[in-house]
Amino acid sequence: MVDDQSVLGIRELDSELYPYMPPGWLGLLVGHSGSGTPLFAKQFAQAMVGASPVLYYTTYERTEDVHRAFRDFGWDPDGVQIVNLSEEYFRNVLVHSLEVSQLRERGLKLSDLDGSKPRPPTPTTYNMISRLLADLAALDGRFRLVLDSLDFFFEVLEPTEVMTVVRQIRHRAQELGGQALLVVQGEFHERRISGPLEDMADLVVELSARPRGESYEHTLAVRKIRNHPERTRILPAKMTGSGLSVVATEPTAKPGRPG
Amino acid sequence: MATAARPEPADAGGIRERCVTGIEGLDNILGGGIPRGNLVLVAGSVGTGKTTLCLEFLVRGAEKGERTLFLSVTEASAKLIENLSTFEFFRQDLVSSGALVFVDVPQIYDRLGLNHEELTVEEIDLLLKSFLDLVKEVGAQRVIVDSLTSVCYRIRRDERIRDFMLKLSQGLAALGCTTLLVSEIGQSAGRYSLHGVEEAIVDGVILLGNARRQGDILRILQVVKMRGTSHSRAQYVMELTPIGLLMAPHLKGGRQET
Repeated sequence: MVDDQSVLGIRELDSELYPYMPPGWLGLLVGHSGSGTPLFAKQFAQAMVGASPVLYYTTYERTEDVHRAFRDFGWDPDGVQIVNLSEEYFRNVLVHSLEVSQLRERGLKLSDLDGSKPRPPTPTTYNMISRLLADLAALDGRFRLVLDSLDFFFEVLEPTEVMTVVRQIRHRAQELGGQALLVVQGEFHERRISGPLEDMADLVVELSARPRGESYEHTLAVRKIRNHPERTRILPAKMTGSGLSVVATEPTAKPGRPG
Repeated sequence: MATAARPEPADAGGIRERCVTGIEGLDNILGGGIPRGNLVLVAGSVGTGKTTLCLEFLVRGAEKGERTLFLSVTEASAKLIENLSTFEFFRQDLVSSGALVFVDVPQIYDRLGLNHEELTVEEIDLLLKSFLDLVKEVGAQRVIVDSLTSVCYRIRRDERIRDFMLKLSQGLAALGCTTLLVSEIGQSAGRYSLHGVEEAIVDGVILLGNARRQGDILRILQVVKMRGTSHSRAQYVMELTPIGLLMAPHLKGGRQET
């Protein structure tokens, strides 16, 4: 059953966070390799399936792997619009670059030109920004969006362009009451990038995993809730067959809880 | 960079072998045809018949069993062929047999990743090599580039255009090609090419223009320069007819407007 008050898709935490979140918000999920961010991103997505359109943008996983991961945890991928930006980018830009390199090396032949038959022009660029914003523009109500991960955007676009995308996602989320979660790798970006990103985000969550004995100790840190610094905290987390869960504890200071 | 002397195809008597254009009247003007291996600029403003002249030059060569290649930069080949089919001298079988080959240069740009405003030195060499590779593959004896002006737009710098032209000239001559390069110029350009560099490298310049006379606009052809042959430098009226181009002396009588 869909939890209409879902924030992150973690039942133990959502009821506590929900009163502090505006109707439309932008979240940042920060994590290191092995901390479980891809799983958490999917958990966040599935929590709103059936209640609103859910868009899941992946930039490094194969689409079938995303589907399988959803199913492995008992979630329905069919209610999620999965968009594989890296595949689209590869198909549109990198494949053409490879062809260009091969032809440059080998030399051009008539057969490469299809004789005099007209052929549609091969795209030499692929505008991920337009792709994503066109999807957002088509939405007319509440939505949930995951972008896993924003790092790919930083690899192929100028930082100012990425920031513009983030601002537009945030604006659209505020306008329509949408919830957007952007995944970034922790300590990957320098401060001049991560700073403004965190400033823009209404919610910043960080996942980490530290080795302890023969396993890993996972923690989930709520690093920022806009206007509610008193709600920030670090929680022990567990990775189970049904996703990520936390052992919820009340933060030490509790002023200003909305009625 | 020093450039090697270009080979000059010659018959036993030391006279340059001719590439007979097959265009009515033009071979007489040229003293028997274009010296084989020459690189010739066909310069003119819009609507003066540059492309038609070049197309007939190719078709006439293909009819004689020569391999020919049209490198089209500005117009899609399909459209060129469609326009060409309105002339009685055109035979579709020349295209299907491979005697008349059309290549859309924008496709070359696309395949080689040259779809940007200004080409680098390496990219210019790559484009040149591609042209020559295609000429070799086709075994072309007659080649058209329509237009050189469009190619030079992407090369931009005079010294690079000069280098490109020299290498193109050497490469095509070494392959035994007689080549016409279309040059788009304004009506009062005062020169025969966009940059002025092109005309200095080529072996010949055929100038096409318009002249107003008694309410008509006449197409005018004038061979300004042609290395390796004695030729007329007079102006001729060039008529586009269904059977091809016809040249007639441009009589000076009558009131001529400019």
